[in-house]
Amino acid sequence: MSELSATVMNLPRRDAQDKLRGRTKYTIDRVRPDMLHAVLLRSTVPAGRIRRLDVSAAHDCPGVRAVATGADAPGLYGIGIADHPLLAIDTIRYHGEPIAVVAAETEAQARAALAAIVLEIEPLAPVFTMAEALQPSARLVHEDWRNYEIITEGGARAGNIAWEAKSSRGDVDAAFARPDVRIVESSFTVGRQSHVPFEPRVAIGSWEDGRAHIQTSTQVPWTVRNVTGRVMQLPPGRVRVTVPPVGGGFGLKFDASIEPITALLARMTGRTVILENSRQEEMATCLCRENAEIRIRSAVTAEGEIVGREAVVLMDCGAYGGEQVFLTTMTAHTLGGNYRVGAMRLVSRAIYTNTPPNGAFRACNGVYNTFALERHTDEICEALGFDTIAYRKKNVLRNGDLGATGQVFEADVLGPMLDRMETLRANTGTSEAKADGRLYGTATTVGTWFVFVGPSAATVNLNADGSATLVTSGVEIGSGTMMQSLPQIVAGQLGLAPDQVIVREADTDAAGLDVGVGGGRTTVSIGAASVAACTEVKEKLLRTAGEMLQTRPEDLLLQGGRVEISGRPGSGATIPAVVAHAQATTGPISGSGAFTAKNTPAMSGCAMGHFIDALDIPVFVVHEAEVAVDPDTGHVEVLAYRVVQDVGRALNPRAIMGQIQGGVVQGLGYALHEEVTITTDGRIAQDNFETYRLPLAPDVIPVTADLYEGAPSMGPLGTKGAGEVPILAVGAAIGCAVARAIGKPVRQLPLTPPRVLRLLHERETQPEFPHIAPGWAANTLG
Amino acid sequence: MKHSVVSLTINGAERQMLVAPGSTLIDVLRESQGLTGTRRGCEQGACGTCTVLVDGKTAMSCMLPVETIEGAHVETIEGLTPPQGLHPIQEAFLQGFATQCGFCTSGMIMVAAALLAKNPNPSREDVVRAISGNICRCTGYEAIIDAILDAAVRIRSAAHAEAA
Repeated sequence: MSELSATVMNLPRRDAQDKLRGRTKYTIDRVRPDMLHAVLLRSTVPAGRIRRLDVSAAHDCPGVRAVATGADAPGLYGIGIADHPLLAIDTIRYHGEPIAVVAAETEAQARAALAAIVLEIEPLAPVFTMAEALQPSARLVHEDWRNYEIITEGGARAGNIAWEAKSSRGDVDAAFARPDVRIVESSFTVGRQSHVPFEPRVAIGSWEDGRAHIQTSTQVPWTVRNVTGRVMQLPPGRVRVTVPPVGGGFGLKFDASIEPITALLARMTGRTVILENSRQEEMATCLCRENAEIRIRSAVTAEGEIVGREAVVLMDCGAYGGEQVFLTTMTAHTLGGNYRVGAMRLVSRAIYTNTPPNGAFRACNGVYNTFALERHTDEICEALGFDTIAYRKKNVLRNGDLGATGQVFEADVLGPMLDRMETLRANTGTSEAKADGRLYGTATTVGTWFVFVGPSAATVNLNADGSATLVTSGVEIGSGTMMQSLPQIVAGQLGLAPDQVIVREADTDAAGLDVGVGGGRTTVSIGAASVAACTEVKEKLLRTAGEMLQTRPEDLLLQGGRVEISGRPGSGATIPAVVAHAQATTGPISGSGAFTAKNTPAMSGCAMGHFIDALDIPVFVVHEAEVAVDPDTGHVEVLAYRVVQDVGRALNPRAIMGQIQGGVVQGLGYALHEEVTITTDGRIAQDNFETYRLPLAPDVIPVTADLYEGAPSMGPLGTKGAGEVPILAVGAAIGCAVARAIGKPVRQLPLTPPRVLRLLHERETQPEFPHIAPGWAANTLG
Repeated sequence: MKHSVVSLTINGAERQMLVAPGSTLIDVLRESQGLTGTRRGCEQGACGTCTVLVDGKTAMSCMLPVETIEGAHVETIEGLTPPQGLHPIQEAFLQGFATQCGFCTSGMIMVAAALLAKNPNPSREDVVRAISGNICRCTGYEAIIDAILDAAVRIRSAAHAEAA
């Protein structure tokens, strides 16, 4: 049996049986009667100065064991720049910002003590929108921005511009000045999306042996460790983070938020402390997919060649920089992806506002930039009279084409994927008949994403019972990577069955550094580190078996739980026998492995303020939607949805199909009805399930998908992450299909029935951005 | 405020408990009975995650003051789970890849159990209607719908085999 055939299978989840029996112990299920309960005092104004904060009376309330304020955790954290306090220090920057925290014997006692905290805030004029924030006279959300510690060098910053990333390749001015081009310009705006993982953010902190131990529902144990160290001014090694099963993440749990507070209170009290967001708190302070504004212009010849392209992308980071600082990088690879472009310059800016901070959400930045790019592409086709599918076939990235930062793309991937979509459509047929008198539209769109590779470590211990223990900082958030792909990979390497692979819960004390679960990286990065660990294990195993069997190690192979002499099935010895022999002679068998990005080159000088200059593993998608729009109600029904996804190698095809169905449905919510708005006092208006409209069973349809294998990837067995991208092009496909159905330009999401009706009757205010200067360069910090 | 004594039959066992005024069924299940398989989703009866069976009918345990159901028979995911192996609904969810993060799963299975008890041969539309109040953020529902239809087949064929 080859390594490949031993790895690829439709393995049901290793953790499914406990989940189905209700036995899984999520973080909240680990609460014990002796724990203290923490409750946060949150700001009820969006901007202000703390004039008085007196917690002494709260200390004296029944059951209270500790009260903490910003003074107790003075360190700042962030990505790129350290701008974020754990609890507000002097300044309030958003409605819902934590100001103080009480730990008491019961939650009711902690809540009651909040009322005893004396808090006086001098309100400041809030800056709610990016347009306001970019006014020359705008109040600065961070007056002290110049004095913040820079964690990553290179980004331009000024006032309310938290971070600016630029890419520039070729002479764009010359391209736009050509006499033979038509210039097409489009502007787009999108709102926020709330992740709604079903398990809210929750943490249990204790203080053991002079160190913090945080058990928490996170995607990034190492980030929680490092941020806790930072804000508590401890060496990060004095923080241990372990991760019970996680009830969904989708990127919300890709940053630290409330977790360090439990460590702080545990240090103050010597007790174990639990802090859990209520659903209302979770939604009111969700680190949402950011609202964004995009202006894109292209210079296109009569033949359809895109000779020049420029864009300005404004991303609202809310009150603190957070993930958006990093995500400014992504515009070059998402808005700058998909198509072969002559000269191109892109700027993306993360803008501070007095709104709840935003964060990372599945295919972050990519979802709206793909919507903008694909709608813009359709507007080019309309302006120049091209067929939208033929135009895409002709202009998508091919082998040897250059990306926005000058990276060279390898292999033809999107072109053949578009062909596969035609085959898929031919097989399924179209659903136009189901429109039944309503306005029908269909669209085929493409998207470019990448695997965020980054460092991972793995250790594999081979046990005397023939099982293997895989120790990593990987977290199972529901996508199946740690419960399907990883056991499959290790089993395939060692000739075991996947149920013989024990996956150790993430523990920063047990496993090496890992960037976290996100960006579709786990199967690739932890997978590759695990393969490297298995290589060492195999080498030791075969060497020991060679001695036992008086055979050269190269004549031995691992299969079916045995070390066999090549060509003689059933010969040799069982793995337990070899492990037992090793334990008695040379010691237990284990191996460790590490992996990180190979750093694919970009063109010198093309990328400025970027965290990633080029994509190590690009991932492509083709999405096609068919919709019917009811002209009386504005309701959009999705009649059919088809996906061709570049997966490199499908290790568990059924699990990938599950990711595609789930990701597309999240995207349909984003495209059609999930809407976050900010109230006049700066709150997220949709802070419960009555007001935030999630997709329900009657809303969805089965997605038809074709997994495209064989595109180049450095992932183990050629795999690419498959869980991140299914959401990437849904806003694009639905936006383009609805535009086609109603015959009007779609430049905003979500396409709620009122918006669709306004578009139909030409009463919708189309996005215009007076705060984006006409000349591209005027939108950069130089 | 006065606590009161409430008697319930939970997963077949009679229980008497002292409850604070306003305690909901989920409070009792999770905090005094240790039955953490029933999960809190929204605490406003809007997501179905906390669904249990009360006298055979689905109920959102986060909205149900326990004092109002004195004497009721309550079944949770722990009660549905057989001592050995899996219930046919659980088996269908396992084979059908119908759980991902797992947080909504107990509620989905309890809704499915109530549906299949009432309607052993549901149509796809019946299943969609039954789970329309249960939110799942991971799966996009299809695997769950298919698993419940498959569970119906499994239960019918088991009943058929028993009869034969």
